[in-house]
Amino acid sequence: MAPKSAGKENLMHEEDEVLQAVILADSFNKRFKPLTTHRPRCLLPICNAPMLDWTFESLALAGVQEIFVICRSHADLVKAAIKSSKWSKPNTGLKIVPIVTAKETFSPGDAMRDIYTHGIITSDFVLVTGDLVSNIRIDEVVRAHKERRKTNKDAIMTMVVKESGANHRTRSKGDSSIFVLDAETSECLHYEPVIGYPPKTHASIPREILEEHPEIEIRNDFIDCSIDICSVEVPSLFQDNFDYADIRRDFVHGVLTSDLLMKNIYCYIAKEGYAARVKDTKSYASVSKDILARWTFPLVPDDDHPAGHNYEHLRGNKYIARDNTVSLSRTCKIGNNVLIGSHSQIADNAQVLASVLGQRCKIGAGSVVRDSYLFDGVTIGPNCVIESSIVGAGVHIKEQSQVERGCLIGDGVVVGPRATLMPFERLSRKRSIESDEEDDEDGEDEDDEDEADDEGEEDDDDDDEDDVDSDLEEVEANQDPDSLEYLGKDNNAVIWPRVSLDEDEDVDELEGADNQRLMRIGDSASDLELSDLGSESSDSESDSESSSSDDDFGGSNPSSSVTSLPLSTPTNLVAQADTAAELEFISEVTQSLERAFAEGHSVDNAAVELKTLRMASNVPLRRVREAVVASIVERIKIEESGAPQRQEIGSVIDRWGGLIDKIGGVDAVETVEVLQAHCATSIRLPLFGQILAALYHHDIVEEDDIRKWHSSPSSQGEGIKSAATRENYLKCWTTGAHMIQQFDEQESDEESEGSSSKEGSEEEESEEDDEGDEEDDEDEGDESSES
Amino acid sequence: MNFNVTPVEAVTREFLAVVLAGFGNELLPLTSEHGEEPCPKALLPIFNKPMLDYPLSWLEQSGIKDVLLICPSSHRAAISHYIHSDSTTTSFASLRIDLQPFDESQDLSSGTCSLLKHFASRIQDDFVLLPCDFIPPPSLPLSKLLNKFRTESATDGAIATTCWFEAQRTGSSPDEWGASFPSPSIVWDEVTGTLLHVDVPDGTDHRGELELRMGLLTSYPRAKLSSKFHDSHVYVCKRAVLDVLLQKHHFDSLREDFFPWLCKIQYQNTKRIKYGHALGALADSISNSISMKHSTLHTNVYAKIKLTTLEPRTSESSPQQSRIGLSMPSSPAESDIDQSITSSLRIGVIIHRAENGFTLRANNLGSYLDVNRHFLTSTSYSLPSEPQKRALIDQKANISSDSAIGDFTRVEEKTSIKRSIVGSHCVIGKMVKIVGCVLLDHCVISDGAKLEGCILGKNTTVGVKAELIRCVTQAGYEVEENGSYRNEKLDVADWAAGPEDSSSDEDDDEDEEEDEEDEDEDESEESET
Repeated sequence: MAPKSAGKENLMHEEDEVLQAVILADSFNKRFKPLTTHRPRCLLPICNAPMLDWTFESLALAGVQEIFVICRSHADLVKAAIKSSKWSKPNTGLKIVPIVTAKETFSPGDAMRDIYTHGIITSDFVLVTGDLVSNIRIDEVVRAHKERRKTNKDAIMTMVVKESGANHRTRSKGDSSIFVLDAETSECLHYEPVIGYPPKTHASIPREILEEHPEIEIRNDFIDCSIDICSVEVPSLFQDNFDYADIRRDFVHGVLTSDLLMKNIYCYIAKEGYAARVKDTKSYASVSKDILARWTFPLVPDDDHPAGHNYEHLRGNKYIARDNTVSLSRTCKIGNNVLIGSHSQIADNAQVLASVLGQRCKIGAGSVVRDSYLFDGVTIGPNCVIESSIVGAGVHIKEQSQVERGCLIGDGVVVGPRATLMPFERLSRKRSIESDEEDDEDGEDEDDEDEADDEGEEDDDDDDEDDVDSDLEEVEANQDPDSLEYLGKDNNAVIWPRVSLDEDEDVDELEGADNQRLMRIGDSASDLELSDLGSESSDSESDSESSSSDDDFGGSNPSSSVTSLPLSTPTNLVAQADTAAELEFISEVTQSLERAFAEGHSVDNAAVELKTLRMASNVPLRRVREAVVASIVERIKIEESGAPQRQEIGSVIDRWGGLIDKIGGVDAVETVEVLQAHCATSIRLPLFGQILAALYHHDIVEEDDIRKWHSSPSSQGEGIKSAATRENYLKCWTTGAHMIQQFDEQESDEESEGSSSKEGSEEEESEEDDEGDEEDDEDEGDESSES
Repeated sequence: MNFNVTPVEAVTREFLAVVLAGFGNELLPLTSEHGEEPCPKALLPIFNKPMLDYPLSWLEQSGIKDVLLICPSSHRAAISHYIHSDSTTTSFASLRIDLQPFDESQDLSSGTCSLLKHFASRIQDDFVLLPCDFIPPPSLPLSKLLNKFRTESATDGAIATTCWFEAQRTGSSPDEWGASFPSPSIVWDEVTGTLLHVDVPDGTDHRGELELRMGLLTSYPRAKLSSKFHDSHVYVCKRAVLDVLLQKHHFDSLREDFFPWLCKIQYQNTKRIKYGHALGALADSISNSISMKHSTLHTNVYAKIKLTTLEPRTSESSPQQSRIGLSMPSSPAESDIDQSITSSLRIGVIIHRAENGFTLRANNLGSYLDVNRHFLTSTSYSLPSEPQKRALIDQKANISSDSAIGDFTRVEEKTSIKRSIVGSHCVIGKMVKIVGCVLLDHCVISDGAKLEGCILGKNTTVGVKAELIRCVTQAGYEVEENGSYRNEKLDVADWAAGPEDSSSDEDDDEDEEEDEEDEDEDESEESET
């Protein structure tokens, strides 16, 4: 619309138009556990005011008039918080409407669909998350957006991004993105999410965008503020595409790559101002620091504190509550960048450095609190050290305790005296204590409340677990009593497992354990190889150029070692998770074969089923072979005497032996190894020779394979820990020796094996080690199912 | 004491210029042989000056003295004659030109890489690699590149500097002349002027997607990507680059293989480890880095970016500092500034945009025509003042001011010439119409012919009332009377009836006529396509 001619009408129209905002007050993940077991993330305090209040403040600053808060977990708490917020008072010019969505809302996409069904959106609106701290003039962005809409109806969204450096602390390494923009118009042409670990190596930019846009910027230095100006169509697009979950990775990516939609998304590059999300504990720390460092001005503790507290700003960015209730000992030391809430007490010789203390915190004499965030009512005994941790409300840490970096301590936990928390420990209060005994301040009633909470809407921040309570119960059930000893005799804590093993296979990489480490407070993740700088070369080189050349110098290739770089703890856990997945796979294979045996499927059909299973769980071929061999062996009935036994073996192998080579790859040597490994731990050990012979007769295993196997060190049980198993290995090996002897007798040429067999054996050797134990489990499974 | 006495020679030479003059297969049929004589691309005239003049005078202005000129051996005589003849308008008195032939035939030329390797022993200094067909704008003196190279190689270990330019193409040439190659997309960093990636079409079909290393995007978080720039093929390189080139055996073309690969060293650690030593990453940077660390003026460029984008208004304490109970301001960016201590091994790039002056490489027919026409817009023609030459041009000829006529060319009455360049010693008959054409020397245009958008090779003869529209002719071609051609490349081969006499009739002071081409990459391109 031309401003002049239609000006008046337009003006009137714009005046009428209320600027709406939608806050997604649920995080849809569980990075703050266990702090979020009893309240939603958006109500966690940051610099002593709930995050949601910071968000309201940011929106109010931008001239938003109507806010819808979409809440899911702890909806009652959120509602109550909204009611008590200063913005709910009359005359604030802000209307805040909480909307409780269904429990089945698992992603921002679901929430958007919910918004659509509610039909609350009438015009362009601002979409933010409930953990936003910003002083960006969003109204200007909205104006720019509307201006653009006048000429281009397809510009449905404007994302606000902030320039920073690639390594800015507020820019999450674990979850960042690359924006590809038109240099002139800032139209977003391509969006590429980036996760920190495993490090992404390539960004792929579609070349076709070059055709229409002569000059393009590839920006890897934006902080995604998660402030989106959306047009009315946006929720309906979510409705149409039911699989959109994440706003960036699904919606933006989907819209930009769609050939049908023909919609445009633009970026607004905020040159001034500050905006960041608290999306994980690491950004919790960095946003706190940014607030204390006054980046968010005017949203700073001493001026416009969202919770209405009053702080005095002292030199060095120290903020002390103004109401004279803070008692600081004469000998205590307050470092720079510290916020201390009212009624707090710091005793003699205590040090508080670069930390935030809530209200009514007590720091005992000689304690040190560094880079940590203490919620309200935390009591730290004398001579404690708290490093880079987040400590929930009402926590009591008794004297001489150590809290190492990265700990998250849930509300109401008591630890100590002389507790030692390992780095990245996560504690919450024991439920059994809560309900059985009456622990200090928590009466029955409160427990009930908690319980109600738990059962009700408590499922909170997690996608895949519905009930925190059961979650907690499970954690409690798996407690290791030894580790609790470190927490001091008075503790009431349960320790959360380091990495939840219940993570599904398909957990998305963003939430992967190693990647999450990049989002943890206090975790420098220095042991993770993040830069793809190191791991590059060979792979890329070989596909981009005819690699031959590159390998002709300097033999060793750093990348191979780097990519497989073992990472201390987390990978072990991942490995365990893998093992768990494999076990599950094996049991499924066993069942599938059982069915095949019982119902007399054809070998081909059974093979197809196996392949499908293998694809689904992505296990190595060897595992499949193990499972198949094991099943077949267990299928063989044990007969009293030799002849019927041989017959039985013959018939089983005749019927099913072919399956071994149809699982997707033929490797007869491995088959023998697997057979040996299985027999060595099975009651069918005596049958080994006969089975092998039967396999030989059915051409599943050739003579050379047997020789090859026989000459490999692993076939003699090398590297097997249990003595009994090793003995069994040896027995099998001896049986093999006999067979080879027979071969030799039959035909007298035998030299061939010498050298050629060596290489084969070396390859297999490494895998051999872990095989024994797995074999065991599998075996039990097989046997029980058979009996 | 008289300081001026110091001999200039005492200064060790800094750069050696390596000029590559190839066959110019993209300029066929202009560069195909004229009878027995080659037509070197380097000597094809642009605005009535041999193409080679432009890079040589560019070099001269920058103060570079030593030039290694590499040409096919068949072209040696012609080019040597040109360089040493006094008759050329500009004599490159200050240049010491070392003309070196290489053996290869026009059909089968080896890549630029092997060429450079072959002459590696003659290159002992940092060098400037130029094509013979780059027409630099006045706004871009070579010294601009040299200075960038000098600064960057000294301060942060850059290994090369190049230039990419935005071409204004008028798109006048018809498709029949051969499609112009789409220029590769490049990724570069505007702030530091660094070339990061050249997206060479590699045959394998990543058609859809351009893959960029995250390492690149982390080091240079605001990279730009565009396909509107062309490679000038001017590279200022450290000598060490040649050592690396010698190690790489399978590379063919410098432009398509080697330099795109060289870009990757700066952000790929494994390559860096492998080749860093050869490129002198450690050798000269240690002493430098020490001084740089203490320098207040120099800041590592990307450290600077990080700091300036969000300038810290206040302090936060980092762990070690607070341990002592002190807090010093620290940047919110986690510092990994130790990057600055090692050499960047990057390739500097000057992006020359269209608005800063016309630049083009005359490496195909279309751009050859464009370059010629470009010079017409900047000059205005006036009749020659010498009576002897003046007399050749008929009073009634109509020559527009945006045209150029070479010496000793005769123009008959009622002929009109517009937006065209006519070479020397041409004969243009009556009632001829020439619009937007380039006529090389010794052309004979008969009465009533009509030429539009044509390039006529040397000694082309156009018959009476022939009509040529957007055609290119090989040297010595004869267009028959009343012949009419449109959008064609006319060469002698398919002109069966052509008598050979025309080729030999001229005196041989024209030696410089033939053309050849320049970089062999053109050839490699062509052979690939």
